[in-house]
Amino acid sequence: MKEKLAELRLDGEKRIEAASTLAELQAAKGALVGKKSALTELLKEIPKLDPARRPEMGSATNELKNYLAGLIEEREEALRLKSAEISPDFDLTVPGIPPLSGGLHPITQMRYDLDDTFRSLGFEIFQEDDITSELFAFDNLNFPPDHPARESMDTYWLRGHDHGRGGERLCLRPHLTGASVRYMKSHEPPYRFVYPGRVYRNETTDARHERAFFQYEALIVDRDVPFSSGRVMVKGILDRVFGRDVPVRMRVGFFPFVEPGFEIDMGCLVCGGKGCSVCKYVGWIEIMPGGTPHPNVLRSAGLDPALYTGFYVNIGLDRLVMMRYGVDDVRLFHSADLRFLSQFR
Amino acid sequence: MKISLDWLKDYIDLPDGTSLQKIAYDLTMSTVEVEGCEAMSEKFQNIVVGEIIEVLPHPNADKLKICRTDIGCGETREIVCGGTNLKGGMKVAVAKPGAMVRWHGEGGLVEIKNAKLRGVESYGMICASSEIGLFELFPADGEAVIIDLSDFDARPGTRLEAALGIDDVILEIDNRSLTNRPDLWGHYGIARELSALYDVPLKEIPAAEALKGLAPGPGLRVGIDVPERCARYMGFRIENVSTKAASFKIQSRIWRVGQRPINALVDITNYVMLAVGQPTHAFDHGNIKGGITVRMARDGEKLTLLGGRELSLTAEDLVIADDDEAVALAGIKGGSKDSILDDTTDVILEIANFSPIGIRKTATRFETRTEASVRFEKGIDPQRADLAASMAASLFADEFPGMRITAFTDNYPRPLGRALVEVSLGWLAKRMGQGIPQEAMLSTLGRLGFTAEIDGDVMTVSAPTWRSTGDISLPDDIMEEIARLHGYENFTPTPITSTFERPINQRGHELERRLREYLSFRCGMQEVFTYPWVKDEHIEALSLPTDGMFQLAAPPAPDESHIRSSLLPNLIDAVSKNVRFAEFADGFAIYELAQVYIDHGYETRQDEREKLPVQRRRLAGALVGGAGDVRGLFRRGKGIVENMPRLTHMEPFSFSRPEEGPAWADDTVWLCVTRSGETIGHLALLSKRAALGYGIKQAAVMIFDIDVDALEPLPSRANRFAHLPEYPLSEYDISMVFDESVKWADIEAAAVGKKGPADIVREARFIDEYRGSQIPSGKKSVTARLVLGSDARTLTSEDIEKSVGMITKRLSKQLGGELRA
Repeated sequence: MKEKLAELRLDGEKRIEAASTLAELQAAKGALVGKKSALTELLKEIPKLDPARRPEMGSATNELKNYLAGLIEEREEALRLKSAEISPDFDLTVPGIPPLSGGLHPITQMRYDLDDTFRSLGFEIFQEDDITSELFAFDNLNFPPDHPARESMDTYWLRGHDHGRGGERLCLRPHLTGASVRYMKSHEPPYRFVYPGRVYRNETTDARHERAFFQYEALIVDRDVPFSSGRVMVKGILDRVFGRDVPVRMRVGFFPFVEPGFEIDMGCLVCGGKGCSVCKYVGWIEIMPGGTPHPNVLRSAGLDPALYTGFYVNIGLDRLVMMRYGVDDVRLFHSADLRFLSQFR
Repeated sequence: MKISLDWLKDYIDLPDGTSLQKIAYDLTMSTVEVEGCEAMSEKFQNIVVGEIIEVLPHPNADKLKICRTDIGCGETREIVCGGTNLKGGMKVAVAKPGAMVRWHGEGGLVEIKNAKLRGVESYGMICASSEIGLFELFPADGEAVIIDLSDFDARPGTRLEAALGIDDVILEIDNRSLTNRPDLWGHYGIARELSALYDVPLKEIPAAEALKGLAPGPGLRVGIDVPERCARYMGFRIENVSTKAASFKIQSRIWRVGQRPINALVDITNYVMLAVGQPTHAFDHGNIKGGITVRMARDGEKLTLLGGRELSLTAEDLVIADDDEAVALAGIKGGSKDSILDDTTDVILEIANFSPIGIRKTATRFETRTEASVRFEKGIDPQRADLAASMAASLFADEFPGMRITAFTDNYPRPLGRALVEVSLGWLAKRMGQGIPQEAMLSTLGRLGFTAEIDGDVMTVSAPTWRSTGDISLPDDIMEEIARLHGYENFTPTPITSTFERPINQRGHELERRLREYLSFRCGMQEVFTYPWVKDEHIEALSLPTDGMFQLAAPPAPDESHIRSSLLPNLIDAVSKNVRFAEFADGFAIYELAQVYIDHGYETRQDEREKLPVQRRRLAGALVGGAGDVRGLFRRGKGIVENMPRLTHMEPFSFSRPEEGPAWADDTVWLCVTRSGETIGHLALLSKRAALGYGIKQAAVMIFDIDVDALEPLPSRANRFAHLPEYPLSEYDISMVFDESVKWADIEAAAVGKKGPADIVREARFIDEYRGSQIPSGKKSVTARLVLGSDARTLTSEDIEKSVGMITKRLSKQLGGELRA
C-alpha cells in the first residue's frame, strides 16, 4: 500500500503541474482527490486493514490527500493570476491610436535646430521686418549703385515706393544680410548673432527656384576673428544638424558684402564624396556662402574696420531641408499641402 | 565660359603630370568654379579616319552603296552608306560599333552596332558632319553629304579628334564665379592664374610684325565725345581681306569653346576676345561715311542692328557713329549698316574700351546681352587693347597674307593707373590667423602681376592694370590674393574664443517659438507657409479693404500685386486646397505665423535716413470640419485661444463682443480677442459668403487671427503653486433644461453664486448640452459638473445634497432652469 501511495503522489504532482488551464486543473482535481478518485477508494480500504496498521496508513493517506489539495490550490492561484480573462485571440496587430497630428513646418524644424545649435554657442537671435529699404538691402552692403540686383527684375520693389533712392525706396527684402547692419547699429560690439528669415526674389520658379525662400545667417564680429575660425563654426553646425561628421571645405567666392568671400561646400552625404548625380559627380555640394564682412559693411554699422573683423555665413534653409529629407521640389515648401507637410511630424 | 586646355598651352607649360582633375580642383578652390570637363576623346570615342578603297553598288538599294573601307591596322571593312559624295580614295569619318551618333543629325545620341542594311552586313557607319556634332566645322549641303577628310594628313585608323588636331579637353567655368574678375574672361587670364598657382612662367603674347613701325595717321578719324564712357578707341583700316573661311585651326578652336565659325574676319575678332578677353569689332569700311565718332545717342534716334532689329535709342545709350548716323551699339552689337558682307574686302577693326557704366543698362534695355557686353560691363583695363591689337594683327597676317594695314589711330583719352594699396603685415597675420613668410607673399603677388615692396610693417602693393578696374582697392583684397593662393584649406582652423557677460534672454523670440510649439504639439495643428502676395479674388472674397495694402511694382502675376495686410486670404486658400484631399476629409487644422504689411505708421529705426512702415507679426489658424460641427469647431478654436496665454507664458487675454465683427465672419459666431481693453484679434466662423468665394462648400472653417506683437511674454513662468486640498473634493453632475437664450456664462455664475464662507461649491464645469426628442423645442439641456469641497472637513452626503439643492434652486429662480428627470 505504501508503494501505491508513492505512486499516487508522483502521478498527482505530474498532473497538477501539467494543467495549464483552470478546466484542466478542475479535471485533475476530480481525478486525484474527488469522490471517485483512487485516493478516496484507498481511504475506503483502510477499515479493512490490519488494525495495527490502520492509524499509520490512515494518516499517510490523509496526508497525501491534503498535500495534493494544497498543490491544486497553489496551482489554481497561479493559473488565475496568469489569465487576465482576455481571449487568446486578442488582436495585437491593430494599430495604435496616434497622438495629436500637428507639426512644425520642416523649414521651422530646421530653423529651430539651428537656433538651438547657435544658442548653445552663445549667439543671439535677431529678426528684421520683411519690408526693408534700398539703404539696408544694398547701399550698406557695398553693392555698386548700378548692381543688377537692385532692379525690379530681381527685387520686389513696392509700387509708389520704388522711386528715389536709399532709405525711401522700399522692397521685400531680397536677402537677410541687411539685417546684420540693423543689429550692429543697435547693439554694442562684440557681436555674435543669427538672423533667420524669409526673403523674396523676382524669379521664374521651377523645382529649384522660388520667389520666397528661407535663409539663415550667422555673424560674428570681434577684434580678432581670423577667417579660419569660420570653418570651425561651419563644421560644428553641420555636424550637429546632420548628426555625423560632415567634411567641409572653403573655397574662393565673390559677394559684394564680403572680402574675402567663400563658397562653403559640404561633402556629399548621398555618395560619401565619391561622386553622384546629386553632387554632379564632384563629391561636394555648395551649401552656403560666407566670408569676412566687407570693410564698407562694417563702416555702415558704425565700426572701424581697422579694429573689427568677423565671419559670416548664409545658410540656405530650403536647400538644407531638401538635403535632409530628399525633397526634390522647392515649391512644396510654400504649397501648404498637408500631404507634404504631414510627412515631417 | 568654356576654356580649352589646348589653347591654355599656348600661354603656359603646365608642370609635368598635372592632371585635368587637379587643374579643375585647384581653379575651383582658389580662383573660379569649374563646373565640368568635356574631353573630345570621349565625344568622338570609336570614331576613326577611314579611307574608302572602292565604292560598290548595293544589290538591293539604289541609293545605298557598299564602301570597302580601310579603317587602319590592315583592316578593311564593308560599310553600307547612303552618302552622295562617296568616291574611292576619299578619307571619311567612320563610326565603329560603340560610337555615339545622332541619326541624320536629329534626336538623341544612339550607339552604333553592327547591322544589316537591306540585307548587307555593315560595319559601323560613315558619318555626315551633323551626325557627330561637327556640322559647324564641316557645313554640308545636304544630310547625305559625308565629311570629306581627304585634306587632313592622317592615316586610316587615326582617332578622329587626333586627325583633326582637336584632341582637347574643355573646362566649363561657372560664369557667376567670374563676375568680379574681368581679367579672367579669356584664356590668357586663366593661364595667368594657373601660372601663379603652379609657379610656371606665363608666356608673352608676341608683338605683331604687322604693327612694327605703324604710326597713327590721318587716314582714320576717330572722335570720342564722352571719354568717361570710352577710355580708348584703337582703329585699324585693313585692306585686301575677304570673307573666306578662316583656317581650320582658328575655326576649330573657337568652335571648341562654343563659338560658331562664320568667316575669317568675324572669327578673328571672336578668337581675340576668347584669348585675351578684349571684345573687338570688324566692320566694312565702305559703308562708313567720313570718320568715326563715339557719342551718346539722341533720344529717339534709330539704329538697325545686325540681324535687322530696329532700335529707338535714348540719350543714355552710347553709339559708334559715322558722319551721318549711328552705325553700332557701342560695346554691345554691330549695326546692319556697318556689317561685314560677302564682298567685303576693306574693314575697320575696332579695339575699344567702353566703361561698364551704361553698357549693361543699354544691353538690358534692348535685351541684347552679348559676349562683348558681358565683358565690358565687368570693367576691362584699356591697356588690354594693346594685347588684343598684337594678337589681331598677327592673325590677320596669317589668315590674309596679302593684307595691308593702311590706316591706324589710337585715341586714348583716359589711361588707367595701377591701384596702390598699403597693407600692414601685422594686420595681415592677425586676419589670416597665421603668418606667411614674406618671400612667399612677394612671390605670390609677383606671379599674379602685382609688384610689392616691404618697409618695416608696411607692404606697399601696386596692382596690375587688369586688376585695377575696381577689383583691387583695399588691404582686404590683397589678403584675399595671398590667402587664396596659399589655399584656404591650408590654414589651421582657429577656435573661436568667447567671453561670458550675461545669459541670452530674448523673450520675444521665445514666445514666437512657444506659440508655434503650442499649436503644433498641444493643439494638433500643422504649421504652413504661404506667399506674401495675395490674389485679388481672395481679397474680394474676404471683403478686405485694399486701402492701405502695399502693391508690388513688378508682381509675380497681374492679379497678385497686393501683399498681405492679413494672413487670412492665403491661409483660407490653403484650406480650400486641402479640403479637396480625401485624406483630410474628416477635418484638419493649420496655422501660419508671419508678418503683414500696412502702408501707414512709418517710423525710423536704426537709421534716420530710412522710414519703414510698421510691420506686425500675426498668428492665424483655421480649424476645418464638417458643416454640422460648428459648435464643436467653435469650442476647439476657443479652447486653443483661451489656453494660449497660460501655456505659452504670456499675459492673459480675454474675449469681448462689441457691436461689429470682421467682414469675413459669420454674423453670429464671432468674438474679439482683447488684452487690456484693446482688440488684438478675432475668433470667428468664416462666413458662408467668404467660404463660397473660395469654393468651400461643405466644410465649416473656424478662424483665429491674433496680433503677435500685441502679446506680452511673461518675464518668467508666473503661475503659483496651490496647496493640495486637505479634504477630498466631491463632484456632482446636474442636468437642467433652459431656454436657448440662456448662456453658459450665466449658468456658471449662478451655480457658483456669490461665495459665502459656508459655500462649498468650488467650481461649475460645462460638460455638454443636449437638444433632442425629450427636450422641448427652443430649449436645451445643459449638464454641469459641480465641484464641491470644504477646507474644514470631509463632506457628508447631506452636505452635498444640501448644496446641490441650493444651486438648482438658484438656477431655476434666476435662469428658469428645470431639473431633468
